This record gives sequence, C-alpha cells and structure tokens, in this order.
Amino acid sequence: MPRSPIVLLALLITALSPPVRADDVSDLAARIDRLIEARLSAETVTAAPTADDAEFLRRAYLDLGGRVPRSSRVRKFLADKNPGKRREVVDQLLDSSLYVVQFSNVWRKALLPETAADPQARVLVPGFEGWLRQKLAEDTSYAAMVREIVTVPLTPTGNPQQQLQLRNRPSPLAFYQAKQIKPENLAASTARTFLGIRIECAQCHDHPFDSWKQGEFWSFAAFFAGMQRQGRGGFLAAISEVAERRELEIPGTDTSVGPVYLDGSKPLPSETRGARQLLADWMITAGNPYFSRAAVNRLWAHQFGIGLVDPPDDFTADNPPSHPEVLDLLATEFSGHGFDVRFILRVLCATEAYRRTSRLTDPSQGDPRLFSRMAVKGLSPEQIFDSLAQATGYVPTAADRQLAIPGRPSSPRNEFLELFRDESSRPTQQRTTILQALALMNGSFVTAATSLDRSRTLAAVADFPAFGTADRVEALYLASLGRRPRPREETWLVLYVDGGGVSKDSRQALADVFWALLNSSEFLLNH
Amino acid sequence: MTCFPRMSRRQWLALSAAGALAAPASGWFGQAASAAAATRRRSCILLWMSGGPTQTDTFDMKPGHANGGPFRPLLTTVPGLQFSQHLPRLALQAEHLAILRSMATKEGDHQRATFKMRTGYLPQGPIHYPTLGSILSKELTDGASPLPRFISVAPYRFLSPAAFGPGFLGPEYAPLIVGDGNPVPAPGGGQADDSQGLRVQNLKQSAGINRVRADARLGLLEQLESDFGAQRPDVPALSHRSAYRQAVRMMRSESVSAFNLEDEPASLRDSYGRNRFGQGCLLARRLVERGVPFVEVSLNGVDGQLQLGWDTHQNNFDTVKSLSSTLDSGWATLLGDLHLRGLLESTLVIWMGEFGRTPTINSNQGRDHFPKAWTTVLAGGGVRGGQAVGRTSADGNEVADRPISTGDLLATACGALGVDAQRQNMSNVGRPIRLVDPEASVIEGVLG
Repeated sequence: MPRSPIVLLALLITALSPPVRADDVSDLAARIDRLIEARLSAETVTAAPTADDAEFLRRAYLDLGGRVPRSSRVRKFLADKNPGKRREVVDQLLDSSLYVVQFSNVWRKALLPETAADPQARVLVPGFEGWLRQKLAEDTSYAAMVREIVTVPLTPTGNPQQQLQLRNRPSPLAFYQAKQIKPENLAASTARTFLGIRIECAQCHDHPFDSWKQGEFWSFAAFFAGMQRQGRGGFLAAISEVAERRELEIPGTDTSVGPVYLDGSKPLPSETRGARQLLADWMITAGNPYFSRAAVNRLWAHQFGIGLVDPPDDFTADNPPSHPEVLDLLATEFSGHGFDVRFILRVLCATEAYRRTSRLTDPSQGDPRLFSRMAVKGLSPEQIFDSLAQATGYVPTAADRQLAIPGRPSSPRNEFLELFRDESSRPTQQRTTILQALALMNGSFVTAATSLDRSRTLAAVADFPAFGTADRVEALYLASLGRRPRPREETWLVLYVDGGGVSKDSRQALADVFWALLNSSEFLLNH
Repeated sequence: MTCFPRMSRRQWLALSAAGALAAPASGWFGQAASAAAATRRRSCILLWMSGGPTQTDTFDMKPGHANGGPFRPLLTTVPGLQFSQHLPRLALQAEHLAILRSMATKEGDHQRATFKMRTGYLPQGPIHYPTLGSILSKELTDGASPLPRFISVAPYRFLSPAAFGPGFLGPEYAPLIVGDGNPVPAPGGGQADDSQGLRVQNLKQSAGINRVRADARLGLLEQLESDFGAQRPDVPALSHRSAYRQAVRMMRSESVSAFNLEDEPASLRDSYGRNRFGQGCLLARRLVERGVPFVEVSLNGVDGQLQLGWDTHQNNFDTVKSLSSTLDSGWATLLGDLHLRGLLESTLVIWMGEFGRTPTINSNQGRDHFPKAWTTVLAGGGVRGGQAVGRTSADGNEVADRPISTGDLLATACGALGVDAQRQNMSNVGRPIRLVDPEASVIEGVLG
C-alpha cells in the first residue's frame, strides 16, 4: 500500500531536522545525574524528593519564560496524565516568544553589565536587546552570536546626534560602546564574558593569584588596538577602527605590544585579516575549552542559581568547579551539538537535580553547591513585574513595552525595573529591600491589582457566579502561586472570606487574600 | 574534596538568629525593646568619597613643592594646621577634626581598595565580609528606634557591590538605601531641589485601607510566610520577611518624619548645600537625632550623578575645587549643627575614600591612585580634634611618621564609639570573625 503524502512529509521532516536524537537529552541528563548523585552519596547527603508538578511548572516558566504560568495552563498541566509532560512543557516554552524575551534579558545582563549600574549606559539597551531578540528568534547558535559580536564591522558612525537616532537599530555595537571603546575594557570583558577568565587585575600589576602577567593582559588587549573613539559624547561617541593596527602601547610606559592569545600563541605574521577576526577564530572553536565551559556554566548558574564554577565568570585556579566532570561533559556536548543553547537548557531541565523540590527535607542539605535541593532564587526585576502583570490580569500599555530609558516618561513596568534593579548579588543571595517591601504593600500598582474595581483577575474571580468560596480561593492561588491551596490553607481562608474579614464583606475579604498572596515570598521568589 | 565547607548546624543557627526566625510571634507589631535607653548610645556618620580623594589638595598640602599644585593652603582655627583654600568653612571647625595624614595601605585598585576600607578585610574566598555600617550598627543599636539601624544615602555600588552589603550578618543588617537614583535636572539646567530624591516612597497605606484592615492583611501574610519560610531557610526568603517587618515598623512610627527635610528652615538647608550630598548630611543629622546609629552619605559627583567623582586622573584641580565646595558646605554645616544640638559628643564622623592620589601630577593635570601615603579624617564624638596625626615626606610620596593601616583606623573608630573591636561575629563559613583585624591597634593620641 502506498504511503500517504502526509506520512512521507513527516518522514522527510524527521530526516531534515537537526541531528538531535530523541534520547540525547535524557541520556545526557541521566549522565549528569549520576555524577551529581555520586557526589551526594560520597558526602552522605540525602537529596530532596522530586518537586510536585505545580512546583516544577512554575520554576520552568520563570526560568525559561520569565513569568509565572497562567492559571489555565496550571490546571491543564496538573490534569495531564502524560508521563512526559515535563519535557513537553520545556519544549513548548523554548519554542515560545516568552523564551526569546526572557533570554534576551539574560544575555543582555551578562554581556552589558554596565547597563545595570550606569543609567547613562541604558541608552544602549534597546538596540542591543533588539539585536538579541532577533538572534534568539532566528535560533542563531551561541557561537555565531558571539562571533557576530566580536567581529561586528565598525564603520565610522558619525556624530552623537546621528548615533542617537540610530541607537534603536538592532546591533551588537553596544558591546563596544558600553566598554567605551577602550582596548583594555574590551579585552577584560571579552575574556570574562566569553571565556570566564578574569584578566583585568593584570591591567595594572601582575595578578596576585593567577598566572596572568601585565604584559599578557596588554598583548591580549592589542586585538582591539585599532579601535578609536572620536571626541566626546559619552557612550554614544563616534567610533572608527583601523583594522590592520596591531600594536598597543602600555599606558605609562614606552613599551608597545602586539597581539598574543591567552594561551601564548600568536597570529601568523602572514595573516592579513582584521585582528578581531583572528581573535574570534581562536576563541570560538570546539578546541578552546574555555569558550564552551564558560557558556554552559552560565546556563547552569541561570537554572540552578549557583554555577558549577561560582561566581560564574571566575574560572581561576583557586576557584575550582564543584563538579568538574559535569562541566566538561556539558561543554563537550555543547560544542558537539553546534553550540545550541536550547539543547543544553532541555538537558538541564530534564535532570533530576533540576526537578528536586526546594524544600529543606534533611539537615544534610546545607551545602548549596552539592545541588541536593533546588536553590531559592530571587526574581529579576522583569520577572517580578511580568509575573505580577500575569497574575493580576494587568494589560501592559505602550509605555510598558518600551524599554526603560532615562528621561522617557515612566511606566509602571519601568518603575518596577528601577526599584528592583539588583546590581549586586547572585540570585541565591538576593535581598528584598525595605523600599521594595513598601512598594509591594502600599504602591499604586499592587493597590490597583487588589482593588475590586480595577483588578481584572480579582473582579473575575469575585464575581464568577458558578464559583463557591473555595473555588474563588483556589482561583487566586492558581493565578498567583501556580498551585492549589493545601487543605489547611483552604479551610482557613474560606473561613476568613465567608466571615467577610474586618470589612464584613466577603468580596473585600477576597481582596485581602489576594493582597497577601501577591506579597508572599512564595509568589515573589523562584523556588 | 569540597572547596566550600559544608554548612554546619551551628551556621544554620547563626543564619536563623540573623534573620527572621528569631522574630517574636507578634513580628509585625513588635514594640521597641525599651522606651528610652539609660544613656545615649553613640552614632556614626560615614562620609564616603567615591573614587579616592586627593590628600594633597585637601588636608595634606605641600605648598612650595612641585607636587603641591595650584591650590593655596588656608590657616584654620587651630594653630599650625592648614587645609586647602577650598575648604574655608571646615577650617573654622578644625578644632573638631583629627587629620590622619599617614594612612599607609596596599590596595590601588578601586574594587579591592573599596572592599578593604569598607569591610576591614580583603575579599577572601567564600567569606562574605559585612560592610562597616552593618558591623557598627549591629553593635550600636539599642533596638529603640523604629527606623532602620543603618541608612545609606546615595551609595555608588557598581564596582564593588559586596563592599556595601551586610555580608554574613544577613539581611537584617542591610542598609536602607535612599537617594541612589539620579537627580532630576532643574528646568533651567543645574540641579532641582532634591528633597524628593531622599524621600522614602510608599510609606502610607493605600487609600481605603485603614489600620485594622491592614493588620488583618498582615496577619494573613504572616501565616503564609511561616509555612513557606519554615521549609526554606534561604537568604531570599529570610530577607523578604526581614524587610517586610522593618517596613511595617517604620510605616507606623512618628520617626519617619526624619525624611521631611522641608521641615527645616530654608536657610539651614541652603547652608548644607542644595545638592544630594548636602541634603544627605542634613538627613544624617535628623536620623542620628532620632536614634539611628549609623548613616553613610556618599559624595560621588558634584551634580549628584552616581560616579567615582574623586577619581581625578584628568583635570584634577577643577574637579576637586567643585567637589570641595560641595564637601565643605555639607560637612562643615553638619558639624556645626550637631554641635549646636549637643549631638556632636555622641556622634563620630568618619571621612574617607578607598585610597588617596599621587602627589605627582600627571600629564593630564590629574592625579592617579595612591594607597601608600594618604589622608582620612575622624571628627566629633570620642575624638581629640584640632590635630594632625602622622606626617608625609616633603614631596608627599612617603609616610614619614606613624603609618596607619586600615585596621588601625577602624579600631580607632570603634574606640571612639565605645565598641569592642575584638568582638566576634559568626561568619558564613562557620568561623568567627572579629569586628576589626586583631593585628590592628588604636592610633595613639586620637581618642579624647
């Protein structure tokens, strides 16, 4: 019997799809788990049990999609009997626009850390994030993305006024502008961001802890020797480049140095291509162990809150990885799979280590670097606002969709981004400030979101005729915490709402419950 | 091999003690420990100079030497003591100042030097050292003030964020930060009246929510928190509870009027300087007056921008001249105002940055990083003012007499505040850490 065209088409698609075997993901996840578990048993640590479906779903949404799931998605997931549903939801998220937005934030913070601290540098954000979104939407590999950053052509860009007009055009140029086009800044950032190597201390003196010497630092910086900034204009100063220039003078000395890679080798004298091209060739190969390791470690740190090497950009001799075999395995597979970020994320989400509950279930679970339970992570400013918006049914305005730029009229979202901006800590050390607590308790956004006249979610839940009190409480739990109330919680809160609270009005009492849920650490943290 | 020691039971206890688990059952509404302390506790105000201020153009002039630069020395009210001509009002307060001219430190990099000066230690592996404000406010607090015990005005944290946080002492000891946004420019250029920049937003309950209802809401929240927090004793969860508890206590106190700078006479506000540093100094006085034990005010840039303003590699003299004017108004008015109110004897004022600057002037009319021989200042409570301590060589390049280490400075500050510098806190790695490096000693002749 001849095969139907549809079956043929399906076969064809299978044959053409990327060389990811269906079980590559689970194979690699299982190998990682074996390494993690061997260490746990060597240290006599009892791992926490697997998180329940609701805990997993919320975590995957926040990590990959940047906000909490809608309540309808939670209901559907909890009802789904398919044993592969966790893997499925991860795949869906990675194919969604939520992933593109979330990871353009993640990469922007890693690549342009200056924009967190320096408000003036924030003019660079729209163009850079636009570029990242384009790359992520096109599913560009990590290697290709980095190559584009390292080799972006620097044609003369005109005066700051023209620059200002061009700033929103998608481009990776901001990487250079944020470093003020200085060879030493670019060298330090390139090494730290893409290779996990901190060489900048060697800028002024020989590194006290590691093997980088001052001369080596400046030789590496010589790959950026041709860059020139013209005149003033802060982050938007005009740039030009003499691509063939290879010599850089060490400031305060009479010594000039030529480019040398960090492994001590040099570009061939016959090489005529631009210095940055050569740097990219050297950096981005499967053979450069630093490149892949730095990338997978960053992804691990994103998913688990703590890197295998931690801080994630500090691969020094006195800061060894907690699980060197896991790091090497992931790095090898990353380059073996064409530097596909989403493949690594699929693998990490498939590990038992990622699926563990964040509850402390045994006193032996004290060391977070053993990954015996999931770490509790603070949310990024974007995650906080977008989750609040999702939970409360807030419809973002045009101003909310604009990226925060100083001098632009503010929007609720931009105010949150400013207030929750955290330039310092790792997600597992993130702290709530008194000012954030005040804004969440008394600020206009949460006030509106918990007002019966103005909150979509609350009004819908309070007024839906077919609902009893228990259904209403459950609906608020699903919208905010992404889970059903536990029986004890349900009993207590139904009692509170039916009693009408202090207002003697059960609708107002429901608003009180919603206020408490939105202010709870269970809502405001990723766990 | 573990490279990070496993957290012990003791550390869990320490973490719990530092955080929310130690809260009384009536956490949200907890009353002050005692209405009035028997004797007034001492307070500390740190004036932090981001970027490393030049000693040669402020408090250790080298007139007649090529390194001296264009600024002239100015006689002060203390015979033999001279300041820069751009610090005229401080010159009138010289009797309160002990100028420590022989700081000798080792770190010449902003990040490491900032960490060292602000924590007393160098960054070391996994130990999260707390910043000075967290350490001292923990010792100085009597629990009576409903305001946070540590308030930081306009910190510029980017280069060395860990040097501004509570480290292993935990979120309970973190500063309340105000004024770290950028100031709004006035319509005609210059800086607008900045009092709003130092306000605490959202202190009032939402319209329509009365006190009884707010209490009911907090009761619901407390129940949710105790369930979640009991199973997750992690920093983010502990800090969430701690911040909410402090926020509620603050909302409900009269003392928050400290932030209403417009209650002060306009002439006094002018005298402090209508800029973020000046108004920050005024706020510091109002906070100290209400029992806040530690306030720091950063001077980052003349226009209130967040930057390393004192990092004058180029154009040192123009920049330092304008920074000096801002510094002089704010600091001198603060000393006078504290004195007038009888608060100066119980308030120690520390002036420092991360390092000094080269006596040699570079080819860009700038001065570079210089930790080898530089100046800090102690003033006010517990300090014998009106003197210069230590001496640098004629060219300013060497300490000629009585080198002072970071630890010595901090130990002396502890001494002035009546705090035992050798007390210990349990660190995050289960090792007790002294407030100040035990090698350090109190600088002779400074305590009064």
